[in-house]
Amino acid sequence: MLRQRFTLLTLLILAMPISQAQTLATDEDGFTRPLERLTFNPGLDQREFERSTLLALDVYDPLEPWNRRVYHFNQRFDEWVFLPVVNTYQAVTPRFVRSGVSNFFNNIGDVGNLFNSLLQLKGQRSMEITARVLFNSTFGVFGLWDVASRMGLPRHREDFGQTLGAYGVPSGPYLVLPFLGPSNLRDTAGLAADFWVEGEIDYLGVSEAASYGHPEIYGLRVVDLRYQTSFRYGQVNSPFEYEKVRYVYSKARELQISE
Amino acid sequence: MPHLIPLALLLGLLAGPAPAADLSPDAYGFPLSNPFEATIAGTPPDLRPELPGDDEISQGDYSLLLRPEREYKLPANFWAVKKLRYRLATQDGPAPLIFIIAGTGAHYASGNMELLKKVFYQGGFHVVQLSSPTSYDFMAAASRFATPGISAEDADDLYRVMQAVMANHPQLDVTGYHLTGYSLGGLHAAFVSHLDEQRRHFNFQRVLMINPPVNLYTSVTNLDRLVQTQVADIRDAASFYERMFEKLTHYFQHKGSLDMSAALLFDFQQSQQRLSDEEMAMLIGASFRFSAADIVFTSDLINRRGLITPPGYPIDEGTEITPFFRRALLCDFDCYMAEQLVPMWRKRFDGGSLPQLVNAVSLYALEDYLRNSDKVAVMHNADDIILGPGDLGFLRRTFGSRLTLYPRGGHCGNMNYRVNTQAMLDFMRP
Repeated sequence: MLRQRFTLLTLLILAMPISQAQTLATDEDGFTRPLERLTFNPGLDQREFERSTLLALDVYDPLEPWNRRVYHFNQRFDEWVFLPVVNTYQAVTPRFVRSGVSNFFNNIGDVGNLFNSLLQLKGQRSMEITARVLFNSTFGVFGLWDVASRMGLPRHREDFGQTLGAYGVPSGPYLVLPFLGPSNLRDTAGLAADFWVEGEIDYLGVSEAASYGHPEIYGLRVVDLRYQTSFRYGQVNSPFEYEKVRYVYSKARELQISE
Repeated sequence: MPHLIPLALLLGLLAGPAPAADLSPDAYGFPLSNPFEATIAGTPPDLRPELPGDDEISQGDYSLLLRPEREYKLPANFWAVKKLRYRLATQDGPAPLIFIIAGTGAHYASGNMELLKKVFYQGGFHVVQLSSPTSYDFMAAASRFATPGISAEDADDLYRVMQAVMANHPQLDVTGYHLTGYSLGGLHAAFVSHLDEQRRHFNFQRVLMINPPVNLYTSVTNLDRLVQTQVADIRDAASFYERMFEKLTHYFQHKGSLDMSAALLFDFQQSQQRLSDEEMAMLIGASFRFSAADIVFTSDLINRRGLITPPGYPIDEGTEITPFFRRALLCDFDCYMAEQLVPMWRKRFDGGSLPQLVNAVSLYALEDYLRNSDKVAVMHNADDIILGPGDLGFLRRTFGSRLTLYPRGGHCGNMNYRVNTQAMLDFMRP
């Protein structure tokens, strides 16, 4: 009798973890209790979220009041001028024309990408970009078709800000540029350098045409740039959009530089 | 020998009856068995439905001035949210119209909203996209008390917005009204439908709740808890975000190109840098904490409670409000309830204890209505992280065959799975 009880007990004890595992897996009503897979901090008093976020808010931004005003200005400009123009552009042109325009300007931009890739001594990438420019300018008829991407040569962006960053130049204070949006001192300098280099190289004669009698090319380029940028003010939908954009911009640049 | 029978019974009881599985994971075909992965990454690109592109949809953003006094009361940096915006997509001829309500803190044009819009637009509906009553813009421009969380009051705000939207487009040829919402928006859809039974303005034909919370308190407690997971290997210097960032950097360096596509997350989880469940939970929890911070800050500021922003503090477009962000970040959903929601509820609605509040704002409040309303259905997942034990039991008892339970998907991760979008359409147009 006693022995039988004993076996019953051992059986029960043996059965316990199994049955527990089964209830963990699925409740009677089908619920699988996903939170029970996790290991929680026993005291539930971890402050890692707070610590990380407070640290992340620490971006060097001495011109913050000025930057915020420019940010609001950009948002208004975007809403009242920029997006209506882009929407009109979208309404009056068929899709293949728009992608042709994007490809054309991207192809010209690839020259700058190549230049910066060479400056950073990225051998393989420079060859890839060279191949892109060659294929797109010939088979792609002056870059209207992006045949290189279809051939497995994806687009790489390299700007002078990245080049400076790769050689250890710190980002400097955060800046919000009128019309152009988030930047910092280093990247603003880089932007100016890229613009100058593009004018000097003047691939396909676009810069020359634009400065002598055809400024609308710049206009189209700017509209195309906005058309290709998916960011919309207000979509973050937070009173702290400025802080969030600032953090994401800083981190995204670090990522681009390290890669 | 006689002992064996109770033993067998006992073992049988412990093993439990076979779970009432509506759909086996194999038959369902959704590939992600990890609820956290599904919640973050959604459906792999090739299993998503084919949807119309933006330029194939006739749509526009409009705005409504619903609370004119706020134009003067709110600080200057709120200029963009003094009018409530929404998005309307219209069919050419007469068509049924569907309202879509966003989830916690979400904007009318957020990813899931655009997805649902495309699904129903393709299905022949006019579509109206509305921000969540918990979102910054809705709180500032449309909410009467700007203290979201009392579901019936939030639904009332939504109802007024919906009426104003229809008044704004008198030329629109609507053959009937439908309603849906995901996550918290699903709960709101039920409360709006309930309100409509009294006000009778829309007479909704079909109402679909997608992954709604059942007990709102369980859901916010779960979400608050997600930032308490033990995340391994956080050294003193490197914060959690820095660690995530390092992983991303390593991943891209290994891969050789910076390619941000929909497939990125799936590829990332196959790489050496893959995130643990705890890390993914922490990320989900963090994103909800940001929503909580927005609610805490906005509600406090509009109502001049002085918990975050001192009342009368001069704020213009150049003011550094980061210090208030820091303060609001320390307050999670539980803190928001204790400091703002419950006091407001007691003052304005003669409210009582916390359990009473939880009952009033959760689906329990509508149990009888939902049990007898054939037009309301719910889609949910067996591994949804916002649910607690017993919640699915409540849904089964209340909705019966009007509950569709999917075995996988996490929280809203299978919304963009082909099977789900087809089921949504099938329900809306019988």
